[in-house]
Order: sequence, then C-alpha cells, then structure tokens
Amino acid sequence: MPELIHTPPHNKIVVIIPAYNEGAVLLSVIKDMHPTGFTIIVVDDGSDITLDQMLKTYPVFYVRHRANLGQGAALQTGFDFAKKLNPDIIITMDADGQHHSSSVSSMIEPLLTNEVDIVLGSRFLSSGETSVPIMKKLVLHTARIINYIFSGLLLSDAHNGLRAFNAIALKKITITENRMAHASEILFEIKKHKLRFKEVPVTISYTAYSKRKGQSIWDSFRILFDLILHKLFK
Amino acid sequence: MTGIQLVLLTGVAFISLYFIIRLKKKLLDLVLLLALIVAALIFIIWPDLTTALAQKLGVGRGADLVFYLSILIFWFVVLKLYARIRQLEKSFTQIIREDAIKKASTPSVNQSADNE
Repeated sequence: MPELIHTPPHNKIVVIIPAYNEGAVLLSVIKDMHPTGFTIIVVDDGSDITLDQMLKTYPVFYVRHRANLGQGAALQTGFDFAKKLNPDIIITMDADGQHHSSSVSSMIEPLLTNEVDIVLGSRFLSSGETSVPIMKKLVLHTARIINYIFSGLLLSDAHNGLRAFNAIALKKITITENRMAHASEILFEIKKHKLRFKEVPVTISYTAYSKRKGQSIWDSFRILFDLILHKLFK
Repeated sequence: MTGIQLVLLTGVAFISLYFIIRLKKKLLDLVLLLALIVAALIFIIWPDLTTALAQKLGVGRGADLVFYLSILIFWFVVLKLYARIRQLEKSFTQIIREDAIKKASTPSVNQSADNE
C-alpha cells in the first residue's frame, strides 16, 4: 500500500497541520510527512513563540494567526490558504505526533478512486483499539452519540484530527466553530452538502506528550456548550 | 400547576423562541426594553402591586416574584451576550485569517513552486 503515495504525480496533495505551542514533536511530524512529497502547510495558531525560526529550514508553508483562535479556526485558515494552491486532496493532521504518514495512503485511496469526498480517520475501526485509554474511550463514545444527536451521522470515532478531503469537499466545507466543536461542525457540513464520506481505520499513538496536549473532560463540556450555541444562533 | 410556573415556563418559551428565530430587528429589542422599564417603574412606585400579583400567581411575597422574574431576564441577557460574543469572534477570526494568509511564508527551497 505505501507505493500508492508516489503513484499520482499529477495529483496535488496538501497536508494541513494546525499547531499551537509545538516544538520538537511538530518537527518530527514534518520529518515523517516530508518523504511523501506532499505540500505541507503549518498553521501556527498564535503560539507564544513564533514557529518560523524553527521551521525556516523545512520545506513548509507557514501561516500564522496573530492571536490564538482555536483548532477549528486554524483548520479553516489552512483550507483557505490551501485553496490558492489548487490541491486535489487535502489532509489534516494533528501536530502532537498522534498521527503517522503510514495511515495516509489508506486515507487518500478512497478519494483517488472517487469513492467518497471525505475520509475520516477512526481509531476504533483498527485492531489497535485497546491502546486507547479507558477514560478517553468513554469520552469519545459519549461524543459520538452527541454528534449523532446533532448531525444524524453515527460514526465510530469522534474528534479524530486525521481527515482527507477532495477538492469538492474543500470548496463546500466551511468551519465557523473556532474551537473543538469544529469536529462536529464538519459532520453538519457533510450532511448539509450531501458529501460522500467514509471512515478508515487509523492508528493513534498516545504518548505522554499527546495526552498532555489532548482534551480533558472539561473540554468536552465546552464543546457541548459550543455546539448548543452553534445550533441556537445558526 | 401554580401561576408562577406558568409565568416562568412562558418566559423560557419566549426566550427560546426569540433566539431560535434569531430576530435581528432592533424594534423588538426596543419594545422589550420599554416593557421592562415600564414594569420596573410600576413595581417600584406601587410595591404592593407585586405582592398582590404574587399572591394571585401563588408565589406569596412580591419580592420573590421579582426575584424569579429577574432570573429569567438574566438568562435572556446572558444569551444575548453570547450571541454578541460569537459575532465579535467571527469578525476577529476573519481579520486574523486574512492577515495570516497575506503574510504566509512560502517554503524557501522546495519541490512545489506554486508561489503566487
């Protein structure tokens, strides 16, 4: 399967990595992705120390928010910037090293064959499900049910940052939820624009670092609150 | 069901209705504000009215009635403020996004020479 990555020379693939106060781990994500030959866009969501010095020697596009807005906003900025490059496929991934380039070929395959418009990574479809911490599992399962109530789409995972979009999806999807509720908003957008989607198993590495950077239980209440406001004021 | 329950329920219903249909027209805000001011004036000038009204509604004390109604108004104000904050956040996001894209740095040495 890995050879698929190199097959489409005429297909332009862009990777968007939203980053906030990242360091060495972001560099390792870039180093991991670089051999794929994809165009990499790092969206710095107003990190305390700008990342441009650190990224200077890396072949990446660097877009920086002057203030911290949230991951949803960073993704949308990435989308808007990516549109200028006319990509065929856009991949989003987290900067904390949870995702790996090895998952990417299976993510883009359904897009290359035009089976779907969006591919969502799911940590619960893969055999390595046991590696998900129990508390995380509980929160994610609750989140999927909440997503189902709000969007009508029942997925196997919620809030997985690894996603792949084709040009149609890129054009149609707009994220207005600046913070973490964007993951649910993407589902609303899928539903609204009748986009074809599919979940693909991906492996997530839970390192001490990614756990620290990850979401807490309180964040899920915030997400729920944002979602209610989103529906209320839409 | 006592009268106060009816009042509170109707209040909540109206607040929800208002926000669900999200009226942007300033006229309604004005009418609401005027109604509040008039009500406040009446109750301040004739405080016994609140007690009379409260007893009719099954609350007992007039002060309690005012307290319950204040909670409803407080909710309404909080929701309106949230709506405002979200609006502000939207403009803020747009400005930051435009600025970010304008100032984006392109890779110095790389394979994708798609710099516009």
